[in-house]
Amino acid sequence: MKCGIEIHQRLDSLKLFCRCPSVIHEDKGQGEVVRRLHPVASELGEVDIAAQFEYLKGKEYHYHTYDESTCLMETDEEPPHPLNNNALAIALEIALMLNSKPVDELQIMRKTVVDGSNTSGFQRTSLLARGGFVETSKGKVGIQGICLEEESSGIVSGEEAGKVYYKLDRLGIPLVEIATAPDMVDAEHVKETAEKIGAILRATGKVLRGIGTIRQDVNVSVEGGARVEIKGAQELAALPKIVEAEVKRQEKLIAIREELKERKAKLGDAKLVDVSGIFSKTQAKIVRKTLDGGGAVVAVKLNGYAGILGTELYPNRRFGTEMSDYAKSAASVGGVIHSDEDLKKYSFSDEETSAVKKKLGVSESDAFVMVAAKKDIAERALIAAFARAKDATGNLHEEVRKVLPDGVSTAYMRPMPGAARLYPETDIAPVRITKEMIAEARKKLPEMPEVKLAKLKKTLSEELAEKMMKSRNLQLFEKLVGMGIEPSLAATTLEETVVSLRREGVAVEDIREEKIVELFGEFAKGGFAKAAVPEVLKLLAKKPKAKVSALVAEGGLAKLSGKELEAAVEKELASVPDKKKAVGAVMAKLRLRADPEEVIGIIRKKA
Amino acid sequence: MYSAKIDEALGKAGAAPGDRISVTKEGERTEGILMPRSSLGDRDCLVVKLNNGYNVGMDFANAKVELVSKAKPAAHKAGGEVAMEKGLPNISILGCGGTIASKVDYKIGAVFPATSPDELLASFPGLKGIANFKAKVLFTLLSGDMAPAHWQVIAKEVAKEIEAGADGVILMHGTDTMGYTAAALSFMLKDLPVPVVMVGAQRSSDRGSSDNSMNLVCAAIAAKSDIAEVMVCMHGSTNDDYCLLHPGTKVRKLHASRRDAFKSVNAKPFAKVDYAAKKLELLRNDFRKKDKKRKLALDEKMNANVGLIYVHPGMKPEFVKKLGEVYEGIVLAGTGLGHIPTNPHGDKLAKPVIDAVKELIAKGIPVAMAPQTLYGRVNMNVYAYGIAGKEAGVIGDYCDWLPETAMVKLMWVLGHTKEMKRVKEEMERNVAGEISDRSVLLE
Ligand SMILES: [Zn+2]
Repeated sequence: MKCGIEIHQRLDSLKLFCRCPSVIHEDKGQGEVVRRLHPVASELGEVDIAAQFEYLKGKEYHYHTYDESTCLMETDEEPPHPLNNNALAIALEIALMLNSKPVDELQIMRKTVVDGSNTSGFQRTSLLARGGFVETSKGKVGIQGICLEEESSGIVSGEEAGKVYYKLDRLGIPLVEIATAPDMVDAEHVKETAEKIGAILRATGKVLRGIGTIRQDVNVSVEGGARVEIKGAQELAALPKIVEAEVKRQEKLIAIREELKERKAKLGDAKLVDVSGIFSKTQAKIVRKTLDGGGAVVAVKLNGYAGILGTELYPNRRFGTEMSDYAKSAASVGGVIHSDEDLKKYSFSDEETSAVKKKLGVSESDAFVMVAAKKDIAERALIAAFARAKDATGNLHEEVRKVLPDGVSTAYMRPMPGAARLYPETDIAPVRITKEMIAEARKKLPEMPEVKLAKLKKTLSEELAEKMMKSRNLQLFEKLVGMGIEPSLAATTLEETVVSLRREGVAVEDIREEKIVELFGEFAKGGFAKAAVPEVLKLLAKKPKAKVSALVAEGGLAKLSGKELEAAVEKELASVPDKKKAVGAVMAKLRLRADPEEVIGIIRKKA
Repeated sequence: MYSAKIDEALGKAGAAPGDRISVTKEGERTEGILMPRSSLGDRDCLVVKLNNGYNVGMDFANAKVELVSKAKPAAHKAGGEVAMEKGLPNISILGCGGTIASKVDYKIGAVFPATSPDELLASFPGLKGIANFKAKVLFTLLSGDMAPAHWQVIAKEVAKEIEAGADGVILMHGTDTMGYTAAALSFMLKDLPVPVVMVGAQRSSDRGSSDNSMNLVCAAIAAKSDIAEVMVCMHGSTNDDYCLLHPGTKVRKLHASRRDAFKSVNAKPFAKVDYAAKKLELLRNDFRKKDKKRKLALDEKMNANVGLIYVHPGMKPEFVKKLGEVYEGIVLAGTGLGHIPTNPHGDKLAKPVIDAVKELIAKGIPVAMAPQTLYGRVNMNVYAYGIAGKEAGVIGDYCDWLPETAMVKLMWVLGHTKEMKRVKEEMERNVAGEISDRSVLLE
């Protein structure tokens, strides 16, 4: 097995080619732009404009716009502004930390993208550095290259009736893409390498954190298989499973190939047959709807393929599903129907099934595939499915796949892009990377994660230090410590208090980072006691936009000190007969409003 | 352009852009395709396309270049004819430059114009079934370089196509000066029997998001419509939903980059063309109806010695006087209702230019007024400095024309007469929709 990864990390800076802030929104924004895409040279380099035109015809891309974080650049209504130098400086730091060598002059490229995720129809990208390595427990893993590029738009929902919805706030956020060599030796090693690179990225303190801000793609190929790129792994922990599943998938495909060889099954040209007539009285809903709408049912026979389509590649995903994915990407169809499926689930009658078999001349050893759609669309989809079946006897496909919602199995997305989809972005001047810029980046280099961890262990427990090091909150933690907050309080709050509050059902996810900073600022000023931190967090979760000081006052959590505290202590003491238990009893009452040291001091003074 | 040093080394190695080369630097060898140096960036950096498709700039200092292999010459596909479909109208497409119909060499990023009908139909499959197309490239230049002499060539070529029986003519044109050309053709092509539609693109044709194909498809629908006018067909909104057909004398580019940069000023567009539905919806009815029997009168005479000058605070009288040495006619884009500094109140700091204008007119140089506000109508009767201009003989009172249209018209009028009285009469008479009687209510 050969395995490499690609890590995409958003940088904490303004957008790459305009001066909008890199802020993601939860809502649908303040406006909408509707666009279509037109055929251009395909990702394979070959220009099949007619086919692309058919595919894109009638498709609409709807983009939500945001007054705060989108401008004419994101809506593709203005040429790019110059490259954001701050993002470049961060990317340079990352390159140096990965021992990679920056290029002399950055050339901005356009990478053709025809799924609507970029309003322009391409993604701006540039190769920033070449070579490098990262140390792991299983040896050095090579770095092939580091790119600085713009993030794409976030998809809101999948295609529905030819309409695809995207959010434009994400488009243009600076992103570094780190591609490793295929040096990883096993599935666990993939996870470790991704973690190592992730820690280095976080160590810069200049990368965005939170869901989606870092993504990892994996490339897998097995002996006799093909290089497959898998996109959309949600979390690091899932990587080993995804890799293992892909290895199995490729092995299964190799087994199918051997089986077909054994059977001497070989497909010639696709002979498409219109079988609509058979279904004139059908009970099968999908077919009924298609025929009523003027569509057709088209079928094709697969000689010697009986049972192949039903071969499971993943749990619940068969070779037939794979063919279906190809059909779906070639034309707007829901999928294919094939003879290795239980055809009763579509409500086809036995008569209908045997009539189809008869018409196609399907024997015991053969299989068939059908598509119901507008005739030309059905034919295009069927040709793609047939071609996939035919290819099962040859080399495995190099392709891009996406992780499915189960987090492990994958589906075909598109062919592996060729170098031809990249061409120069002529609207932006190349950027000379000078010796001075590199020296400047080197000066700012943060500590390597190992060094940082050792330092953390001096102020935090071993366990908490490790936790903090891997945490998304590392930057926030450092900021709080920088404000003079005790490291153990900051770490416990971020890594433990917040987690246990979430378990209790407190909506801590609604609290924005700057509010946590505000909370600790208030605490440092003596606004409330240490013990009240969880209480204030609870109040904040309920009213995430309120001022912390206001919440403290409202919740009666304002810290008591001086005369006020003395009076309160005195009042409590009066009702405590046993002076030995005085401290405990008073603290039980004033726990949230006073620091224990202060209370003890007062009681001692009185005694 | 590479620096002389790099050019020399490339020459010695026998390498030209497109060839596969190797660059050895600090012991490291990089192989890739030599790219041309764009006009931007460091001329001392060699640009190489790596195998992964990325270009990188490599400082040439201490680098050694060797030729690996020469580029294969690109197979050129000869332009062929496209079979005519019976029953469809015949539309001629004339290429006047701009990037609407250019092809991209994705390897080196260079742009070439599409030159034949089959190339055109191959690039724009959406045109199929709308009409039979004939295509011809007149020039390949950016519209910023277009001069009045080009307008005359275009007018003659359009007339040829119409005489040959075209049911409509489409002009593919760069957007920068499309409004000027549209105005010029409006004056030159009198009694148009069929539509003449100008179309361009605000986004280059290499990208999937280009507005070129939608604009062109809508233009084709306009070209076979009943509206026998010179018009501009461009996006009506930022969305890819519809195009508007703007009157040639009333249209102006009002944004540097947006798709919907073109607007009708002081007028309504003739029609709206829905792209998805491929339907034309009329917004006005006062246009010349298509009638192939009507005889086109080509009148392309022009005097290009006309200047368009922006009036502004601090404008120098000496400058205005000097204009008379260069131009034979002047259009002033005046402030407000069509004003120039006259200083009727004798302010100490003000510097009037009215005397300089009077001097120009006295020399026989016609001076016309248009509103720099674009929207609205010249009225030289409301304020003292308006009246002063009018009394000085400035042309254009009550005209709601665009400054550019007024300039093009003055060129056209001066191509026919220099007699001041006739110039004034002709200028202030509506010829091609450039002056309207009523200021219609627009939203
Ligand atoms: Zn922006």
